[in-house]
Amino acid sequence: MKNNIRIYLVGAKTALASRMAYRGDFFMSMLIMLLVEMAAPVITILIYQNGATFPGWNMYEALLIQGVFLLGKGIAYPFFFGIVWNTIERVQNGTFDLLLIKPKSVLFMAIVTGFDAEDLGKLVGGVALFTLALSRLPAPEPGAWLQFMVLFTITLMVMFGYGLVLAGLGIVWIGNFRVYEIFESITSFGLYPTAIFSKSLQTIITLVIPVAILGSVPATVLLGRPSPGTLGAVGVSLLFLLFSLGFWRWMLKKYTSVGG
Amino acid sequence: MLISVKNLTKVYKTYQRGSSFKETVKSLFVRKPLYVHALKGISFGIEKGEWVGVLGPNGAGKSTTLKILTGILYPSGGTVDVMGYIPWQDRKKYVAKIGAVFGQKSQLLWDIPPIDAFYLNKAIYAIPDREFQRIMAHMVELLDLKDVIRKPTRQLSLGERMKCEFVMAMLHQPEIVFLDEPTIGLDVIAKDKIREFILEMNKKGVTFILTTHDLSDIEHLARRVIVVNHGEIVFDDTITTLRRHWGEKKIIAVSTVYPLPDLTRPGVTVTKRISDYQAELELDLAVYELNKFIALVNKSSTIRDLSVQEPPIEETIKVLYKT
Repeated sequence: MKNNIRIYLVGAKTALASRMAYRGDFFMSMLIMLLVEMAAPVITILIYQNGATFPGWNMYEALLIQGVFLLGKGIAYPFFFGIVWNTIERVQNGTFDLLLIKPKSVLFMAIVTGFDAEDLGKLVGGVALFTLALSRLPAPEPGAWLQFMVLFTITLMVMFGYGLVLAGLGIVWIGNFRVYEIFESITSFGLYPTAIFSKSLQTIITLVIPVAILGSVPATVLLGRPSPGTLGAVGVSLLFLLFSLGFWRWMLKKYTSVGG
Repeated sequence: MLISVKNLTKVYKTYQRGSSFKETVKSLFVRKPLYVHALKGISFGIEKGEWVGVLGPNGAGKSTTLKILTGILYPSGGTVDVMGYIPWQDRKKYVAKIGAVFGQKSQLLWDIPPIDAFYLNKAIYAIPDREFQRIMAHMVELLDLKDVIRKPTRQLSLGERMKCEFVMAMLHQPEIVFLDEPTIGLDVIAKDKIREFILEMNKKGVTFILTTHDLSDIEHLARRVIVVNHGEIVFDDTITTLRRHWGEKKIIAVSTVYPLPDLTRPGVTVTKRISDYQAELELDLAVYELNKFIALVNKSSTIRDLSVQEPPIEETIKVLYKT
C-alpha cells in the first residue's frame, strides 16, 4: 500500500511536470475547466435572481447540491477519472500494452499514468462553490457531517465505477469518446434536487442508475432533509461499483492489442 | 529451458467491412465476423543467455508471439512456460523479471526529461536508491547518455530516445528482454551503439529475444533465428544454417585480363555482365565446384581479380517467406 502511494505520487508529479511544460496552456486549460463547470451554478443564480425557483429549495440549498456535485467531480477527474481518456487513447494508439508490462494491476497503472492536472480547476471550483453555499446556510450538525462524509465517499466510489465502465467500453469500442458525452448528459441530473423531478425519474436516478448520489443525496443530509430512498441509493451504488469492477475485468480480458 | 512454448495458437475475431459507401453503411448494422488464425500451433524452446531473432513478414505472427510471451495477450490454445511462470496468468510477478522495448511505442514521457520516467520506473519496480543510481550510472555511461537524460524527451534525436528506452527497460535488471523492432529508423552509428550495449548485456547473462525486419540486426546480434510465416515456424536454427537453406551458393565477382568465355552452364548463373572483362554471377557449389570454375576462367581469360561472397541473407528469407 505504502509503495502504491509512492508510485501514485511520482506518477502525479510527472504528470504535473508534463502538463506544466506548457505553462500558458496549463493555466488556460484550468481556467476553462473552472468556467465550464461554473455554467450550471451561474444559470441557477440567474433563475433565482429572476424570481423563479426550484420548488421547495432556496438558492443556496440548490447551490450546495451543485457544489457537492462539482466537488465530487473535482476530486474524481484529476485523481482517478483520467483512466477514461488514458485507456481510450492508449488502446487507440497501441500504448495500452505498456501498462500490461508493468508489475502492477493494469487499473492502478491506468490511474497513475492518467493523473489529469488541468482538471484541478474543477476541484478549485467545487471547493469554492461548496464553501460559499454552506456559509450562507445554517451550520450542519456533527451527525449530519458524519453522514455526509459516508455518502460523499460513496459518491466518489460511484464516480470511480463510471470511470471503470467508460474505460472498459474504450477497450472494445476503440476511439469512442462519445461515451463520455452520454455520461455527462446522464449525470447532469445530479446537479439538481432530486425532488424537482417526476416520481418515475426520481426512482430511475436514485434506485436504477446511481445519479442522485452524485450530488443531491449527500447534500440533502447536510441540509437536514435527507432525500427519500437514500438507503436504497447507497445499496444501488455499492452494487454498481461491484458491477463496474466486473465489467472492467471482462473488458480487459477482451483486449486484443493492436498489430505491429 | 528458460522459455518453453508448445502448440501455441491465437485466433483473433475481426469484422469484414467493404470499401464502398453502401457496404460501409451496411456494416453499421450487420457485420460479418472474420477469424484470423495469427498463430497455428507453434512450438519452440529458448535456453538462458541465448540470443534469438524472430523474423517474419508483416502479419506473420511474430508480434503476437512476443505479446503472448510478455503477458500482454492471452493465447487461444497451447502452453507457455517462462521461468516457471505462465505469462498471462502470473502477469504481475512475471513482468517484474522481464523487460521490453517496443521500437514504435515509447515508455518515455514526451515533454519531460527521460530521467523523470526512470524515476517513475524506480518507484514501480521498487528499486532501492543506491542500486538505482548504480545501474543508471552504468547504463548512462555504456550508452553515452550523460548529457541527454536531463533534456526534455521531445528534444532528443530518435537514436537518443531509443537508447533511453533501453535504460527504461533494463533498470530493474530483467532476466529476459524482449525487443520489438528496436533499431527501426535509426542511423548506423546509433544502431552500432545499441548493438554493442545489447551484446554487453547478453554477456552478463541476459537473454534477448528480438523481432525485427532489419536483417542486419539478426546478422550482428542473434545466434539463432526463428522465421515465422502465416502463423507457423518455417525455420528454427543458426544463421549459418539459414544461409545454407538457400543452397550451397556463392556470389562471385570476377574481372579478367582477356575477354571472359561463355559461362553458360549448369550451376552458373550470370547475374550481371558488366563488360567483356568483368561479370557477377551466382555459383551453385553442389553443381559446379569453385576450384573448377576458377580454373576454367583463369585458363581462358587470366583472372585479374576475383571475390567470393556469401549470398545476401535477404534472398534466403524471401525463399522462406514464399514457402
